[in-house]
Amino acid sequence: MNFSDEIREKIKQFAREQSRYYLEEAEMTYMEKLQQKIGKTKSRFIDKLSKLKSRSNMSLDIQNDLILYMSDYMKDLMEKGLSEQEAFERAKEELKYSSESTRTSDLQDRFAEYYKNYDPVDYEVIGLFIAGFMFLGLSIGALSGFIASGGREMFLSGGWIDTLIGGVAGTIIGLGLGQIAHAVVVLLKKRR
Amino acid sequence: MSEMLKGILEGMVLEIISHGEIYGYEIAKKLRSLGFEELAEATVYALLLRLERNKLVDIRKKPSEMGPPRKFYTLNERGREELSSFWARWDFLCECIETIRKEGIENNEF
Repeated sequence: MNFSDEIREKIKQFAREQSRYYLEEAEMTYMEKLQQKIGKTKSRFIDKLSKLKSRSNMSLDIQNDLILYMSDYMKDLMEKGLSEQEAFERAKEELKYSSESTRTSDLQDRFAEYYKNYDPVDYEVIGLFIAGFMFLGLSIGALSGFIASGGREMFLSGGWIDTLIGGVAGTIIGLGLGQIAHAVVVLLKKRR
Repeated sequence: MSEMLKGILEGMVLEIISHGEIYGYEIAKKLRSLGFEELAEATVYALLLRLERNKLVDIRKKPSEMGPPRKFYTLNERGREELSSFWARWDFLCECIETIRKEGIENNEF
C-alpha cells in the first residue's frame, strides 16, 4: 500500500516537527551529564561536544523511525476502512509527543529516580550546616562589631549600630558558607 | 487500568523483545492483540526510545520498503537482567496481592 505524495510529505513534516521533542527526552540524561561536566577540563569538554554532533544523526534517526512507525500505523488504519487523510489525522494525534501519557510516564521515571536517591539524612545535614554557619556568623559579626565600636561603654551611646551591622553581615556570611556547604554535600552525593 | 499499566509496560515490552528480533510497530501491534487497545502509540514509541537510551536493547537496521531503514530490537545482557528483575518484582507483588485476597476470602471480609 502506497501513500500519495501529499501525505508522504505531511508524514515527513510531522516526523521533522515531533522528532525534536522525542530527541529532547532521549537526550535528557546526556544533557544533564554535560551540564555537570562543563567545569571540567577542556579536552573532556571537546570530547563531549563531539558527541553533540551525533545529535543531528540521532534526530534523523528518530525522524526515520517516526516515518516508519506512522506509516505502519496508517496502513493498519486504512485496512480497517479509514481514508488516507483520516488515517493520517488519527496517527498524528496518537503520535504527537505532547500526549499526556508520554509526559506522565517520563515524569513518573523522574519521580522514581528522585525517591530512589532521596535520603532524609542529607537534608538534615544541609539544614544543620546552614543553621550552624548562620549562628556562627551572627555571633562573630555581632561580637566584632561590639568590640570594634568600643565595648560596653560605647554600646548605649551609638555603638549598638556597629554591633547590629556586624551581626547582619555575619549572618549573611554564615548563610553564604551554609550554601557552599550545601553545594559540597550535593556534589559528594552525586559522586557516591 | 492505564495507571496500573504504566508501571509494568516496560517489563511487558522487554518480554516481547526477548522472544526474538522485532521492530517497533510490531511491538505495538502485539500489545494491541493482547488486549491493550487503549495504549497510545506515543507511549509505546517513547518507551522504545527510553529502552534504547538506557541501553537495554541492541538495534539492527534493515532496509524497508518505505525508504528509511527499519530498526529491529533484540535484548542485550543488561536488558535480560532488567527483565528478570522485573519478573522477580512482579512475582513478589502477585504473591502479596494473592495473600491479601486469600486472607479476605477465608475471613469472609470481601
